Amino acid sequence: MGLRNALLVARRQVGAVREDRYVVFLLGLVIALGVVAVLGARHHAASEAEQRARYQAMVERQWVEQPDRHPHRVIHYGFLVFREEAPLAFFDPGVGAWAGTSLFLEGHRQNTANFGEARHATGMLRFGRLTPAAVLSLLLPLFVVVAGFASVSAERERGTLRLLLAQGATPAQILAGKVLGTGAVAALAALPVGLATVAVAGSGAIGPVSAGRVAGLAAIYAAYLAGWVLVTVLASSFRASSRSALALLIAVWVALCVAAPRLGASVAGALHPLPSRAEFTHQVELAMNAVGDSHNPQDPFFRALRDEYLARYDVASVEELPVNWGGVVSREGEAVSSRIQEEQQRDLVEGQRRQDRVLSWMGFISPYLAARDLSRAVSGTGPEAVEAFRAQAEAHRYDIIQRLNDLHISEIRYENDRAQRLPREHWAEFPTFGTRPPPLGGTLAARSLSLSALALWILLPLLGLGLARGRLARVGVERSGS
Amino acid sequence: MKAWFRLLRLDTLRLTRSTGVAVAVVLFLAVGIYAAWRGGRNIEAAASSAVAAETAYQDQLEYLLSSYPPTTDAGEVLYYLAFPAPQPSLPLAALARGRTEVEAASLRIRLLALEGQLYEHETVNPTLAAAGDLDLAFLLIGLLPLFIIALTHDLVSSEREGGTWNLVRLFARRRRLLAPKLAARAVLVGVVVAVPVAVAAALAGFGPDGRAAWAVALVALHTLFWFALCLGVASGRRSSTANAMILVGTWVALTLLAPAALSLANAILHPVPEALELTVRQRQGYHEAWDLSKAETMEVFYEDYPEWSDRTVPEDVFTWAWYYAMNHRGDQAARDASRAYRDVLREREDWARRWSLLVPPLAAQLALDRLAATDLGAQLAYQDAVRRHHERLKAYFYPLFFDAAPIDAVEWNGVPAFEPAAREESPVRAGLPAAAALLLASILALAAGLRSSGPRAD
Repeated sequence: MGLRNALLVARRQVGAVREDRYVVFLLGLVIALGVVAVLGARHHAASEAEQRARYQAMVERQWVEQPDRHPHRVIHYGFLVFREEAPLAFFDPGVGAWAGTSLFLEGHRQNTANFGEARHATGMLRFGRLTPAAVLSLLLPLFVVVAGFASVSAERERGTLRLLLAQGATPAQILAGKVLGTGAVAALAALPVGLATVAVAGSGAIGPVSAGRVAGLAAIYAAYLAGWVLVTVLASSFRASSRSALALLIAVWVALCVAAPRLGASVAGALHPLPSRAEFTHQVELAMNAVGDSHNPQDPFFRALRDEYLARYDVASVEELPVNWGGVVSREGEAVSSRIQEEQQRDLVEGQRRQDRVLSWMGFISPYLAARDLSRAVSGTGPEAVEAFRAQAEAHRYDIIQRLNDLHISEIRYENDRAQRLPREHWAEFPTFGTRPPPLGGTLAARSLSLSALALWILLPLLGLGLARGRLARVGVERSGS
Repeated sequence: MKAWFRLLRLDTLRLTRSTGVAVAVVLFLAVGIYAAWRGGRNIEAAASSAVAAETAYQDQLEYLLSSYPPTTDAGEVLYYLAFPAPQPSLPLAALARGRTEVEAASLRIRLLALEGQLYEHETVNPTLAAAGDLDLAFLLIGLLPLFIIALTHDLVSSEREGGTWNLVRLFARRRRLLAPKLAARAVLVGVVVAVPVAVAAALAGFGPDGRAAWAVALVALHTLFWFALCLGVASGRRSSTANAMILVGTWVALTLLAPAALSLANAILHPVPEALELTVRQRQGYHEAWDLSKAETMEVFYEDYPEWSDRTVPEDVFTWAWYYAMNHRGDQAARDASRAYRDVLREREDWARRWSLLVPPLAAQLALDRLAATDLGAQLAYQDAVRRHHERLKAYFYPLFFDAAPIDAVEWNGVPAFEPAAREESPVRAGLPAAAALLLASILALAAGLRSSGPRAD
């Protein structure tokens, strides 16, 4: 009986929405935008991926086709790697556009990845991007507001609320029905974007996508939008008029979805400022200078290293060493400089993570931030994906450079060192680079703040509705009924 | 006239007594002053970044001179030395931060191939950059319209819904009733705009010069546009709710959808494969030279620098003149791709400027960035200035390389200082198209609104 009443109210709500030309128009618009966003993003992601793959292949070929070279020459020739976007980046591009795309790996120094997409964009990008994720997280809540702000208040204004109550529907059934009805409309609006996303992801055109990730996205957005439905019906039930419910809900949407992300980013930057590029490179240099320079034979660190080697092999000069001393200096120098630069880099990344944590806490104020954070995590386009690329590329760099140094030590004689060359067959023995994306489990486990924020986003309005239930018949009575 | 002012006072009081309006005003002012403060801090951070580039140069020079014997080749020490190229920011950048969040404005340039150094970016956290910064421009262009909508969408409908419209219509003509209401709202909006802008001006130190005047004029015109639009919609006979939905819908279309759609179109119409191309080419161009005869490398070097063609390098020994000529070969190899890259970016910028004129918030925002020299065009101009600086440094040091001069012989005080990109574009050129577009849009919005509201039965 209770369920039947709630379903009747839900049907009534859907019917009311269907009669509203403006809402129907918006529904069409949201659906169209969502589908256009999926198609546009798919096109863009495919061409970007194709480009990166082409250059990666070109660079790998150039590596293998190097002529006979001295290994230290190859250390400076280095290796160029390109960051692959996760397959689901077409759905939620996340932070990728603001992180570099191409990274030059060479000896002695850690470069930064350059040419993020945002670097090629005009000031328009500041207004945001039309992505499937943006349609779902930014526009759909506004649609839910427009479709549901009058759900309870209009019944009250028309006097039909009392009729419903008189016919035996309890306040709880009415509220549940309104939530179901508004939720059904929201689901209808979200479904085409979701189906288009599933279709593109399933086609495999942009790489293999695990069903788990797609299901995860569905769960996140379902929860996020359910929260909006609950909040909308709640506002509609406790505000005296539809008009004031709408004003309140629009203000909430602006605050949570438009203002909070930027305010959060700004506050995070103010609380945990990062050194500028110039300051950072200066710090790195100071740290490196404190240790020494493998290219400088006068350096105290490397003089000590030489004495140790002479003692170990019990010889009087480096020329008599059974290994190539030049290569040893290069390898030890690389070990030291890599360690120092990696420490500095970790500090920088740690500073960024502190900023991210401020945003995670802000998720308790703005569910948009929590949902965005989770959506990126599941799509594989969050900051940890960028950091995984950086760390893996650095590991690859170190591996390649030290292999080359080992070749220098074992294959090149010390006298007349620089005039010798290694045969080119060696180059094909080196590993190629491929990004291993961070696993989904770990990414989600690190996001307990956002997960609880999203849970609260549902629980709090539910609690509110529970409280509003008792007052449903009384709201606005004092003013309009007197 | 006296009655008019009494109405104005009455309306202002009525406005400020509404809890919603009071909360909005306080919030807006608070966030505005915060944004102004952040703008000032960002200018300071840019200045200290420039200092850091200079200090780093001095430290590195001192370290190199103390750790290498004075007879070391100058070329060897210069391999490590990074020269500062700080571009001072305009004070107006406190208002419109544009791209400065991601772009490094104080590059440190070594004498090596330039193309590998020119595109360094700031140490920005991508998460924050993706969210976008909260600068005053965002507040005044992005959010202020919503405040205006909240204040004006029910200009007429609230009286009508409250049942007072017919009553007051007995005493005055429609225009005389609306004017003080609008004026009261304009005063309120003026306050929430003026206070943060004044704070920003004080903190960042921009005075009433041409640029600032144009910036304020653009913000004012953009505000006018929204007032016109709201008035047009609000004077119709629709309900307050309908007005609110129409106006918020328009805001979403103009501030979120149109810019996002244009960005997407711009990216698809003007692809930039050149970015990766130039990276690959520069690296190949330099490294191939190691496997060529020195004469071959020098030959192409002399093509660009005929003035040094009488200075030859020996074939059988390493010379720094040849080493840096190889680096130059890398830049030569990347030159076409680099130019194509710049051309595409310029096309994107021009395209964006043109199409932005159709979308008032975009027109205002891009013009503000342009006035503050924080746009893509300013970034390209900075890169050109760095290119010129790199050439000046080469011209200064190459004679030493050909002479195989030791570090002793370098006159460090004579090293050319960076000459920042001139902000030569006049504020009129940057501001006028957008200002005209905004004015036209205001007129059209008002006319369209008044027409669509149909014959007024009152």
